[in-house]
This record gives sequence, structure tokens and C-alpha cells, in this order.
Amino acid sequence: MLGRILDDLLTSPTTGPCITATRHFAPRPPVLAPFPPSLDPRIAEALRARGIHDLYAHQARAWELIEKGHHVVVVTPTASGKTLCYNLPALQCLVHQPDARILYLFPTKALAQDQLAELEELARTLPEMRMFTYDGDTPQDARRAVRARANLVLTNPDMLHSGILPHHTKWASLFQNLRYVVIDELHAYRGVFGSHLANVLRRLRRVCRHYGSAPQFVMASATIANPGELARRLTGESVEELAESGAPTGDKLFVCYNPPVVNPELGIRAPYLGEAARLAVRFLREKIATIVFAQSRLATEVLLTAIKGGVADRTGDSGIVRGYRGGYLPTRRRAVEKGLREGEVLGVVSTNALELGVDIGHLDVAVLAGYPGAIASLWQQAGRAGRRSGSSAAVFVASSAPLDQFMVTHPEYLFGTPPEHARVNPDNPFILANHLKCAAFELPVADAERFGDTDVRRLLAALEDEGVLHHAGDRWHWAAETYPADHISLRTVTSDNFLVIDTTARDAAQVKRRQVIAEVDWGSAFATIHPKAIYLVESEPYEVQELRWREDEEKVAYVKRVQVDYFTDAISAKGVWILQRLADQDHPAYLAEQGEVLVAEKVVGFKKIKLGTLENVGSGEVELPQQEKQTTAAWLTVAPEALARVSPSREELIDGLRAVTYLLHHLAPIFLLCDVRDLGSWLGDTTPATGGAVATRESAKRRLMDAERFNPTVYLYDAHAGGIGLAERVFEILPALLRRGLETLEACACRAGCPSCVGPVNEVGRRARATAQALLRLLTA
Amino acid sequence: MQSLDDLRRVIRRIETRRPPGAAARPVEAILGGEIQDTGAGPLLVVRREYPLAHAHGRAPLAPAFAAPLPLLAALARAEAPATDGRGLLFLDTETTGLAGGTGTYAFLVGAGWREADRFVVAQYFLRDLDEEPALLAALAPVLERAGGLVTFNGTGFDLPLLETRFVLARRRWPGLLPHLDLLRPARRVFAPSLADCRLATLEREVIGLERDDDVPGALIPSLYFDFLRTRRAAPLARVFEHNRQDVLSLVALLGWFGRALEHHEELGAAELAGLGRLWEPVDLARGLGCYRGALAAGLAGDAAHGVRLRLAAWEKRRRAWDEAHALWTDAARHDERRAGFDPRPWEELAKLYEHRRRDLGAARALVARALDLAGAAGASARVVDALAHRLARLERRLAPRA
Repeated sequence: MLGRILDDLLTSPTTGPCITATRHFAPRPPVLAPFPPSLDPRIAEALRARGIHDLYAHQARAWELIEKGHHVVVVTPTASGKTLCYNLPALQCLVHQPDARILYLFPTKALAQDQLAELEELARTLPEMRMFTYDGDTPQDARRAVRARANLVLTNPDMLHSGILPHHTKWASLFQNLRYVVIDELHAYRGVFGSHLANVLRRLRRVCRHYGSAPQFVMASATIANPGELARRLTGESVEELAESGAPTGDKLFVCYNPPVVNPELGIRAPYLGEAARLAVRFLREKIATIVFAQSRLATEVLLTAIKGGVADRTGDSGIVRGYRGGYLPTRRRAVEKGLREGEVLGVVSTNALELGVDIGHLDVAVLAGYPGAIASLWQQAGRAGRRSGSSAAVFVASSAPLDQFMVTHPEYLFGTPPEHARVNPDNPFILANHLKCAAFELPVADAERFGDTDVRRLLAALEDEGVLHHAGDRWHWAAETYPADHISLRTVTSDNFLVIDTTARDAAQVKRRQVIAEVDWGSAFATIHPKAIYLVESEPYEVQELRWREDEEKVAYVKRVQVDYFTDAISAKGVWILQRLADQDHPAYLAEQGEVLVAEKVVGFKKIKLGTLENVGSGEVELPQQEKQTTAAWLTVAPEALARVSPSREELIDGLRAVTYLLHHLAPIFLLCDVRDLGSWLGDTTPATGGAVATRESAKRRLMDAERFNPTVYLYDAHAGGIGLAERVFEILPALLRRGLETLEACACRAGCPSCVGPVNEVGRRARATAQALLRLLTA
Repeated sequence: MQSLDDLRRVIRRIETRRPPGAAARPVEAILGGEIQDTGAGPLLVVRREYPLAHAHGRAPLAPAFAAPLPLLAALARAEAPATDGRGLLFLDTETTGLAGGTGTYAFLVGAGWREADRFVVAQYFLRDLDEEPALLAALAPVLERAGGLVTFNGTGFDLPLLETRFVLARRRWPGLLPHLDLLRPARRVFAPSLADCRLATLEREVIGLERDDDVPGALIPSLYFDFLRTRRAAPLARVFEHNRQDVLSLVALLGWFGRALEHHEELGAAELAGLGRLWEPVDLARGLGCYRGALAAGLAGDAAHGVRLRLAAWEKRRRAWDEAHALWTDAARHDERRAGFDPRPWEELAKLYEHRRRDLGAARALVARALDLAGAAGASARVVDALAHRLARLERRLAPRA
């Protein structure tokens, strides 16, 4: 059936021309190896009882390397039996040395729960197994028991950071006897999160040294360009990389699909969400298990609505399709996972939340609605379809964003480019200084001590100036009343989550019962649950009645179930101001600079957008606080003479520069090997950060036009607070980036701008493309 | 650049480290102590002695050493010290914060014990944070010598913190001793009658101590950090005095408990009621005796209401219906004069009339009255509903059979 649909897709006159490329992946048989002779017979027996009679070659090889005492990272595809690579040595260790301790780190609590269940299953017949999760969900009164009893602790980096390391004396027996540290989903630790983890591990190794242990690191990663390097950067140890999978794979077809052009004049293609939904519905109607990946939480809900509708038309049952994303409550997510494994749920629409190793069983088709921003993610998502045998397919549906269009029209790039590098920068001064505080809190830092491999003497002195450290004897001691780990979140600016509470059915009996339907992190709260927003949960619309965000309040949004045919999209106002210039480079037509900026954003209103047709059907205003962050940026100011040569009209110049901003923002990730969302962009000017007020797109334009001195500036900034080095790189490659911009523009077939170059014409203005081209010629001359 | 920075740092440190002026007196002189060699480095120890007759507020120190320790331990649900009062160690710490975890230091540990006819307070002080090994080395034998510990909130704060310091220094924690944490019995006895159970409150209300010029606990960490940076010790004198007063208050409080257990006649009504709460789980008869004594001594207000209901519950359990009836009736009558409404005595009385005395009319009258009061006091819907439900049932049972 799958084959027939695919044939039709490739050959029919409506969809055939949309297919820009296909690639066939031939099946591969397993490469097996016998159980290693040193494997404890009780463990071998437990494996046989689960129907496992051999190991895959990579599992046997991992055993060998770990046995020899190497730090190891295993890099093999989804569902290739990675977990056994670390579970076997762990179990062997505990069977032979019940007093040894093992620590497992997962990026999420859910994965730790999953893994505990799998471990318990495997270890049921083995002696001396005392395995527990220890995280934010562990009840206070159970924590002491876990600390005292557990010889295998499953936790996450956040808990290690704020709950375990600062209380290491309570965990003395763990740190004295720590044999292995297992880190799964290593690829998840890139960028800021990875830089934090690297520092948490530096602290872990310090504490271990204090107690006289030196644990061995065993890691597992999805395919990325530099797993070995990442593992070395994160652990500070030399690591053996094991990338050859012995697991079998089935027959698989990868399809690139570009939605048809519906308006050649304006360069507009059919909405990719609609196309992705139609494709998914075709598979689901034939009872083919399908996963759809969306690129945002909102896109997830919009897609789910469309797919449920399409499936219900035929089968009358939309319950076989579910949504899955961060923000759903754990019980809801567990139910969806279980439904997928057991086959009651046939289709799921998910954000990248299901990219990680959550066990959801076997699916036949993956529809990737939009390029996930990284080659590694693309293959990870595609890998969710078709596991060990049988045929499967993955369809990449491109959006009209320039990056997507580039990928779908350059399949050789898509298929030929190795997956991204996972970059971490553990010595980022912001991150480093924060973890140094925590380290000093845990154990005084000796004068000669290096942190990881880094010389931190100057930082320590600076922290003394700040009044949190005190030098005595030959050590730096923590000398403040605070608990530094509480003020440092590894993931977002703040760890405060908003609870979304349904008040629809509130009557006397329900007054006290709080119907929590979702959680929203601080970073996206104002854009998604502002008053009057429509918040979708599994495509059911709720209207936000009230948002409580003040410091002394519990963070909640009260919502009511409503019947509406639209959703809301927030309108933000924004501003970027220079705090400090760190580098500059004078070019004939422009000045390039790099440094620290203040980025302020504020949600000021929203648009109402009709479900289905996606047309704009109204708007509203909201009153919410401004959110600010300091980060690093590269910026470019065009010389006044150059501007004068291009156009006498300020308005035209602003439109043209906005077009250039859009283009550079969307092309830079190709050079930086990062996600579009890792960068932010803005057209402002070079006023310093005093008294700046945020502005919407329209009011910012007005402000530039009315300014006394016209010196418009294009900002590209690091989206992560504090910056992770992306802006510095933009500054370095700026000339090449401008050249690539000009090439892209000259090669684009549209007349006056399209989403693939400078943005859709009716958004940027009729002359924007021509102005942008003229500007870029000057800038690259 | 690095070396210049280093140099600056060295200079700055020399500047801040040097005592201000050649004539400045050493820390030990300002604080009145001496430097001891602990075997793990020098340590400033400040030692003060008090005669047992010393009056701490209204309370002399001596009674603490005659306190019935096994009994007190039983009442506090603690292990009994294997010693008489002479082996007790009274302990209180001043710390660099309340955050807990490995980065909070106990920079001043005050320990008190009896030596012959004197009470000795020894205070071990970190002149700088690197002297901690010396402090732990000095403290370890003191703890090892002791037969039991007396603290105020030591379970929740001082002892885990000290244990953390010992474990962090890779030393054996010598503090696994029978431990009498006076906060627990103090809560049982005083929570109903005092605004809170902070040590300062107990000092004022129970042992009659008003501290002069006391330094607020919340300021202590920053006073110490200031000292570390400036080396000016004079402001710390108040912290030392604060810590000594805390240790003496432990002695005085223990003495109060010891006397209270054996000499009820000296106690006021509120204290008797509190003592009843302390006895109740251990020796019921004595507990109830205290309650009755408290009521006889004129206990009033919410405290009396609570005691009546407790007593009544025990009378009900031993099926002493008349006694229970009297107490509930008193409680209900008392309830009429209170601002709030407590349904419990009314419900108990209604059940008693309905099921024991089979007097449905009286039960109905009682419930009707209760319903009026509940309505007037704005009681919760649940309470009102329950009473209305009971009233309706009584009406049904009273109605002539058709």
C-alpha cells in the first residue's frame, strides 16, 4: 500500500512536478557478534530471556572498549540498540560490585523514566540492583532514601547542577564510588545548553577528585559531524568514538517535495502546512502509521487540526491522530507514547520533542513539514520512520522560507552535506563565571587549580571584586549568603513555567480543583498566552482570560474553552541598542562592528488568523511587560555616500535594507551551521542603549524616516542571552555573507521579491528587491 | 596583561589584609580570646565562665543540670542522653548564610558545658575561611567527650551544617549523639499561646530576658563578610555576645522544662495547657491532668476551646459520656461568644442527644441553634450543608408517621 501511494505521489501530474528529488536507501542486514566471554552469565541469561541471543557488532565493540577503561561515545542511528551499549557494562559493574555507583544523565525527565523502566525490565533477575530516578519529581521525603540506597541514579543535568553537586556531602558515597557516568542523547547538548553541561561536568569531576574517584564516561549520540569532539569538549577527557552500527535497517525512500507555485507573479507557493497535512492524510487514510514533524508549537496545532479534519472525513474517527509537544502535561504525553507503541494511535504530529529517543515503536512514514534547521535533525526526524525491516518513507515538505527553498532546490546539498557540528563553548565568560561560582560554593578553588583545562585566575579575582568570593590561604572560598546554582538555569533565562488552567467547567464543586491543561515556558509565554490569545491544545482552542506574570504571583494563565475558527499570532515590538563595541572593520561602503547589545522585545498586540485559509481576520492590543536580554551582535552601517548613490528616498532605502536584513539572516545559518532561530535580526540605528523604546515594524520605520541623522544599521544578533559566539562568526564572514546574498538575489527568478530571497513583495515593498540588489552590489564592490 | 593583573591583585590583597595602622590590636585582643594550637593550625577561642547561680533573665543556670533528662528526651521523642547534666553539650552556630549546601560556613561555633560549679562557654572562630580545619579539629574532641547535645533547631540547621563541614573536610562526623532539640517541645508547649516559637520570643516570654543591643540574626553573615574584607574585628563583638546569649538561653530553657515537668504548681494556665500537649502522647493521665489544671486555672479564649475539645475526645473514647457532655456544652457555650464558628462541639452534642440520650427534640434544637450561629459567622458552605442535612434528618425522624 505504501509503495502504491509513493508511486502515485511521484508520477501523478499534480504531485509529480513537486518532487524535486528522491533518494533510495537500500536495506542493510545485521552484523552480529556473540556475547563477550566476560559478560556475567546472569546478565547473559537475562538477555536470552528477552529474546536477545547475540549482540550487534557495535555493542560488542563498546563492551570491549569500556572494559579496557576507555571513555566511549557511541554514535549510531535511532533504534540501533545504543542503550545496551551502556546498560550492559553498568549492570555488570553492579552485579560484581554492589557498592559501586553509577550516574545516568538524560536531557529530560521523561527519558530518564523511560530508561528506568527498560533497565528494571532487563535487571529483574539480577541481584543488588537499586535503581532510582532523582529529579524535580522525586518527593522530598523519598530523596533521603534515594541518596542512601541507590547504586544507579538516573537524573538530568539541571538536577546535578542545582540539587546534587551543591549538596555533595549528602552524596558522599556516590562520589566516592562513582564508576560510570552515562550521558545519552549527547547531541542535545550543543550551544548554550552544551556549554553549561561542559561546566557542570567540570564541577562533577572536581567533586569526584575530592572524594578520590575518577569515573569513566560512556556516552551515546545521534549522528552529528563531530560526536567525538563534542564528547571530548563536554567531558574534558580523551574519548573513543564508535560510529559503525551493526544494526539492520529496512528499505527506505526519502522524498523532497516543494509545494506548487500558485501565484507566479508574486512568487507564492501553496502553504506548506496544508500540503504536509494533505500528504499525511493520504497515508493515514490507508492505515499507514505516520509521524509529522512541525517546526513550532503553533505549527503543530495548526497541522493537527487540518489532519484530524482530513482523517475524520473518511474514517469518522480523529482520535487515531494525536499531537505531541513540550508544554503538554506528562500524563498526556505518556498516553500518546503508549498509544503509538501499542498501535491505538496511528498518527502523531510533533515538534522536535519526538526527535529524542522516546520509545514510540515503529512508524512507516515521516512527514517533515519544513526544514528542521539542521541536517542532523533532518536525518534524526526521517529516522523515526521505518526501523529494522520493511519499507518506509520520509517526505520533506519545504516551506517558502529561503533556507527551505535552498534545500529543496539543491538536493545535492541536502544529501551531500555532512550533519552539523555540535558547537559548545565552555569558556564563554558568562557561562564560565557562573559555574565558577557554583564550583567555589562546592569546594574552595585552589590558586593553581585549572577549571577543566582553563586558567581561571583572572575570573576568580573578578569574582572577589564582585564580593562573592574571598581569598584565604591558597584558596578561593565562597563568601556570600546565596546559593548560586539557584540563580543559574541551564536552559532558558528563567525556569519559571506558566501553568495553563482551564476554567471552562467551573462550578461550585470544582472551585478548588485546578484543571491544568498545559505548561508554557517563560520565554514564549507572552507571545502564546497573552490575554485574548487563542491557545491550542491538541487542536482544541482555548481563549486566555487572564495572564498572571508579576513577580509575586503564581505564574498562571486562566483559559476558557471556546468555539472559534481562528488562532492568534502575536505582534511584537522590538529594539536593539549597542552596549559595547568590541571590534570594528572599515570597508569602503560600510562599517562592520561587533560587540554587546541590549535586545528588548514586547508583545503589543495580536492578529487573528483563520484556520484553514490562514487569512487575517482581525487584531487586538495587549498590555504586557518588556523582556530584555544582553547578547552579542554583529552590525553593519552603510556609509551615507553609498546610501545617497542608491536612492534619495529614505523610505526606499529602509525597505531595501530590511530586505537585505531578511536575506542575511536567512543565509547566515548556512555559514554558521546553526538554526535560523539561533539568530535574531533587526534594522535599527546606532544609538546607544539609553532611553530606547521598543517599536513595531511600522513604527520603527517611521522613526528611522523621521530621524535627524539617517544612519540605518543592520543587526544580526545571537538569540541566546549572553551569546554563544555566533555573532563573532557573522562578523568574520560578513563579506562572504554579503556576496552570497547578492548571488542569491541575482539567481532568484522572482521579479520584486519572494520568500526565497528578500521576503514576499507585499511585505517588503515593491522596490525593495531592486534597492537591496543595488545596495549589495555596493557593499560587495 | 595577566601578570599586571596578578600584580594588582597582590597589591590589593596586601592593602586589604594589612591591619589598619600599626597600633591596631589583634583580633584576639579585641574579642577577648586566645589563639590555641589545634594540631590543624591556630584557632581563636573565646572562653567565658559563669557561676551556676548566674541569672539569665529571670532564670538561673543551675536547674538545667537537675532536669530529668530521660523524661525530657521521651517527651521530645529523642534518644535519652547517656549522661546526667554534666555531660551535656549546649551548641549554637553562627553561619555565613541560611542557604545550606556545601558553600555555607559555620564561622563561629559556641559550645557550653558544665565544669564543677561553673558553666563554660567556648567559642571557636574562623579568623579567615582557611582556618576551618583548625575549627573542626578543636570541635571534634569536644563533641566526642559529650554525652548528649542540646540545641534549638539543631535538627533542622546546626547539626546538618556541621556534619556537612566535617564530611567536606573528609573527617568523621563526631556528632551522632543523643540530641535534645528544644524547638520540638517548645513548639508543643508554646505554639498555642505565643505569637511564634523563635528563641527571642521564648527568651522574652518564658525566661524573662530582654537583650540589650542585640544584633539581628539576619545581619550576622554580612557583618562577618565585612570583617573578612576589612579585618576590623570590633563590630564582631556583638556577634560573639549574641552567640553566648543563645547558648545561655539553651541552658535556661532546659532548666525551665525540667522544673515545669516536676512543679506544675508554679505554672500559669497557658503553660499548663501546653505542657498537657507535651505529656499527652507519652503519659495520657498526666497530660489530661495538665489540661484539667489549665481549665481550672482559668484558661480562656481559643486555647481553652482547644483543650476542652481534646479532653472531650478522650472522655468520649473511654465512653465517659457525662464528662464529655459537660465539656462539649462548655465548648459550645463558649463558641457562641467567639468570632468564628466551630461545628465540632455542636455535632458531637447532636450525636450524643440523638444516639445516646435518644432525645431528638433536644438534638433538633441544638442543631437549629448551631445553624443560626454558622450562618451568622459566615461558615463555609460545607459546614452549613452538613448541619442543614442533619437538621432535615432530625425533622424527618420527629415528624409523626403517616
